[in-house]
Formats: sequence, C-alpha cells, structure tokens
Amino acid sequence: MSSPKLERLLNLTALLLNASLPVSAEQIQTALDYPDDVVAFRRAFERDKDELRAMGIPLRLASVPGKLPPVDGYRIPPEEYALRDPGLTIDELGALHLAASAVQVEGLSATAGLLKLGGLVAAGASDIGVRVAPLPADPNLACLFAAVASRTPVTMRYGDQDRTIDPYRLEFLRGRWYLTGYDHFREAERNFRLGRIQGTVVPTDGPAFLAPRAPLQGRAEGPWELGDDEPIVARLRIGGPPAQWALQHFGPDRIVEVAEDGSVVIDLPVNHRSAFRSFVLSFLDHAEILSPVELREDLILWLRGIT
Amino acid sequence: MSKAANGGAAARMQRLLAMVPWIVAQDGPLTSEVCARFEVTPEQLAADLEVIWLVGLPPYTPDALIDVKQEGDRVWIRFAEVFGKPQRLTPDQAVALLTAGASVLALPGAEPDGPLGRGVRKLAGVLGVDVSQVLEVDLGAAGVEVLDLLRRGVSEQRQLHLDYYSFARDARTQRNVNPYLVEAQDGSLYLLAYCHQAEADRRFRVDRIVSATLLDDTFVAPPAMEEWRLFEPDASDPRVVLDLDPAAAWVIEAYPMESVETRPDGRQRVTVAVTAEPWLARLLLALGPQAEVVTGPPGLIDAGRRAAGEILARYP
Repeated sequence: MSSPKLERLLNLTALLLNASLPVSAEQIQTALDYPDDVVAFRRAFERDKDELRAMGIPLRLASVPGKLPPVDGYRIPPEEYALRDPGLTIDELGALHLAASAVQVEGLSATAGLLKLGGLVAAGASDIGVRVAPLPADPNLACLFAAVASRTPVTMRYGDQDRTIDPYRLEFLRGRWYLTGYDHFREAERNFRLGRIQGTVVPTDGPAFLAPRAPLQGRAEGPWELGDDEPIVARLRIGGPPAQWALQHFGPDRIVEVAEDGSVVIDLPVNHRSAFRSFVLSFLDHAEILSPVELREDLILWLRGIT
Repeated sequence: MSKAANGGAAARMQRLLAMVPWIVAQDGPLTSEVCARFEVTPEQLAADLEVIWLVGLPPYTPDALIDVKQEGDRVWIRFAEVFGKPQRLTPDQAVALLTAGASVLALPGAEPDGPLGRGVRKLAGVLGVDVSQVLEVDLGAAGVEVLDLLRRGVSEQRQLHLDYYSFARDARTQRNVNPYLVEAQDGSLYLLAYCHQAEADRRFRVDRIVSATLLDDTFVAPPAMEEWRLFEPDASDPRVVLDLDPAAAWVIEAYPMESVETRPDGRQRVTVAVTAEPWLARLLLALGPQAEVVTGPPGLIDAGRRAAGEILARYP
C-alpha cells in the first residue's frame, strides 16, 4: 500500500475515534482525502471500512442526531477500541514473547498482539527446552474464545443436532481442541471436539450466561469422558509394565489402590463406552475391568466376537 | 496483502497504532530500541514517522497534526492523544498469546509464579477471564524429574540411560541414548535420540520413560534436527492385509498404509507393515468386528484372536 492510503486510514481512524457523535459519510468525504466523485468515493470508503474492521477496529454505525430524513454515521468508541493496560513488566513481556515464539497456533500470529502490549523484548531465558510442534488451528477457535471470555451463549451444529451452548472452557488435549460447556439441548455439561463441530459457531444476541453453577469437573482425562452415554464410574486394574505409567499418569483422586504385586486400581468416569473399551484393550492382558458388571460383560462379549 | 513485516497495509497500520502510544509514553526513546521492539529497520521507521507527521484531526492545520521530533538517536511524538492507547487485542491475538503462555506454563516443572505466569494472569485479567478456568493446554504428560534430566542431557550433550516401556513391543527395555531434543507433538512429549542398542535414531514417549539416569559420556549432536526422519518400517517387516468396514476408515488416516483399495462390498482392503505384534493385536482388538485379517504370515494372522483369548482368561 502506498503512503497516501495509509495516511488516509490513520486520519479516518483518528477522526472517528475523536468524534463524540456519529460522523456521516458526507462529512468524512469532505474532511479526508477521498475522490470527489460519489461513486469513486463510495468504493474507496467501503474498502477502507472493510480494512479497519479486518484489523479488529470497532467501527459502529448509528444515526447522526438531528437529521431528517435519518442519516447513518460512523464512530469508533474509544472504550471499545482501546486496550486496558495490563501493566506488564519488561520480564513479563519478555516471557510472553518467548512463549509465543516457542508455541504457535497454526495460522494465528501472536506478534501483532505483542506489539500492542509494548513490543518484542528479549526474555531472560533463551528457550523453553522443548520444541513444540505448532498447535493445530480450528476455524471456530477464536470465536469460541471470545464467547467464553464474554460469557456469550453460542449456537452450533454438533452430532447432526442444532444446539445452544454456554461455552465455559477450551482445552487442548492429546493434540486436539475441546470445548466444555452447558448444552441446553442435553440440559447438561458436555465436552465437544472442535473438529467435529459442523460449520460455523454463531454467538447469540442473548444475555450473558452466569458462571457455571457447580465448579467444572476436572478436565477430561481421555476420550472415554467425551461421549454422550449415561455417565458411570468404571474400576480398572492395570498391572505389568504399564502399571508404572498408570501410577504417574493418574492423580491420587483416581487411584484407589496400589497392590503388593505393583498393579494399580483406578476409578474412571466414563460417558463414552466404546472409547473406554479401546483404552482398556490397549493394555492387552495387563488390564481388567473390575466393575461395573455391565462394562465387564460388554468387554467379554466384544472379545468373544473376535476369538 | 503481503505478510512481510514491513508489508501490507494492515500490518503497517497496526504496527503504527501500537508504536505511537509506546513512543509517546517513553518520552524520547532510542530509535534503535523502537526498531528492535517493533521489528522495523531504521529506514522503515523513518518512512513510518513521515506518515505519522501527516496524521491528525480536522482542520488539519499544523497545530492539529501529530508532532514528530527526531534529535540525535532519539525520537519524540507529541499531540497524539487520539492514539494514546494501543488497540485492544483481537480474539485471534488473544488466543495465540494466551495459548502460548498456558502451554509453556503447563509443561511439567514450569513456575506458575514466574514472569510468564504473572504476565499471563495480567493479560487474562484485562481480557476479563480467569485463564486457569477457561483455557487449558496439555502438551503432554511427563514426570518432572525425568523431563528435567532429559533437558539437561540435551543441553549438556550427555548420554542418558533409559528404563523405557516400549508400548509397541509391550516390554520394559534398558538402553543408552544420545538425547537430541525434547519435542511436544499431538499432545505427547517425545525424546528424539540416538539409541545405542538399536544403533539408530528413535523417538521415545516421555511418559513411558520409567526412569532416566544422566551419564558422564558426552556426544556430538547432529547439525540439523529439522530433518528428523521418523522411524519407518523396513522391507523385512511382515505385511498384513486387512479388510476394513467404513466405520474403521479412520485407521487409514491414522497409520501409514502401503496400499488401499475399495472392495465391491464397500470395505477398504489395506496393506500395513507390522513392526511389532502387540501393535497389530491392539489394532484388531479395538476394531473388533470392523476389521478382518485377509492374509498375513502365520504368526500374525491370529494376532487379534490370540490377544482376545489372553484377555478373556482374566474374566473367568
């Protein structure tokens, strides 16, 4: 872009940021360096508005007061435009810069955000000691984060069902993004895989939802918690070489017992039974479902089908 | 729109909207510091300042324009109240920054109250969220002690002895390795290393390392870790042919397939290399009726059936 256009965009932003009342297109055409021809002006002005919006500048449309017939005018409300200063110290800014260099979300750049916070400064450490492959992006990620932050209910299609969700939390787990929220269709808290959302998430105009009534359950530990089946607690014994792994992997609230032979007994909440079955089978004959009987029998039936 | 740092309209404008309030607040910073912080060359900075000098408010008389002054190696900007504060973060930028911060903080051994932890909390605060409640990133599980030893081995270029549970072979193994790199990928942490026992490069999942011991022997790291090649099956590994139901089609994406062919009955016939029997057994156990072994060497053709029988023995 040539400088005259940059100059015009900056002056347009300044004009609308400074305006206490909406400014009409006609006033904008007069004040700034736009073509005199109406059609050429409209074309240039539309492009400029699109560019500002693409930069995340909140361009608001309202009627210019005292005009009949009504005339549309534009404003950039400073309180919606400006960043509240988080007051980062230089080492905090440096640490954020280092983290953003080490961990990237595909297709999203943290650089523009860092510039707003005070620029790119060097961190105390030179690296984080782990090379992190870029996290996969999801087209609905930013929209869902905005909805989580502003407590805006969203509508989305999931499992061939249109649902309204109060989005509570986003998680990146085992290489995938998940949403936890209150599902008004199921009338319960549910986990959703972002990659399985059909189409685009749409924020509703409805009022902000209240904070979750009960504290959120701990994050989903595995795919066996990411289903729609009736929730049930399964008790599992893991022995042999994977016992050590289980001991490290599951927290004390999951571990029921460590037996003398080194095997570990754990309780897991399950609402996705086939995923749970695959998890148990991945231990080969080192694991056994102790209870409930229905999950034991389900597994036995499955295995008999194979033998 | 160009994505170069100095590049397109949007990038340049957004840089200016961030840079102007910062320069105003610093009251005469060094131009070299402005260049470093905002990733511009001195020439680009000069061009940017020339534009700023033409920006202001109606009636655009000299007293209504932003004032830029350069003296020696310092720069001042005045009368820029309209651009007194940087622009709010877009959701994209907020997600990118908070995800990066939360990821690094979630690595075992990270200090929640260090500069990063404090910075993330402050940033989340102005966005109106409690980051620990709304965003969680798990790059992979690891014991703090093991991960610490691995990082030391990598940075000090010292060999490690590993007690490792090989999932594919379902066995505990002992080996000495040259640790090259710790890597987080697809939700797991891995150690990329040269294994002295296998005499080849291998990838170890950190949460399956039962214990690690730092040895005194050093090693020389290979120059380019970017071109790491994952272990691939070799020609001598046995091949198995499977028929997969449509419900099991995900397998084709999840594992390297040597051939895929659609059968008249709608099933997919695939050929896979089997590096270890437990791997095939797990696959067949998980797929159950959705997969059928068509051909394979005598030892493998019954892998699923055999494994199912062994597990059933636990359920008398």
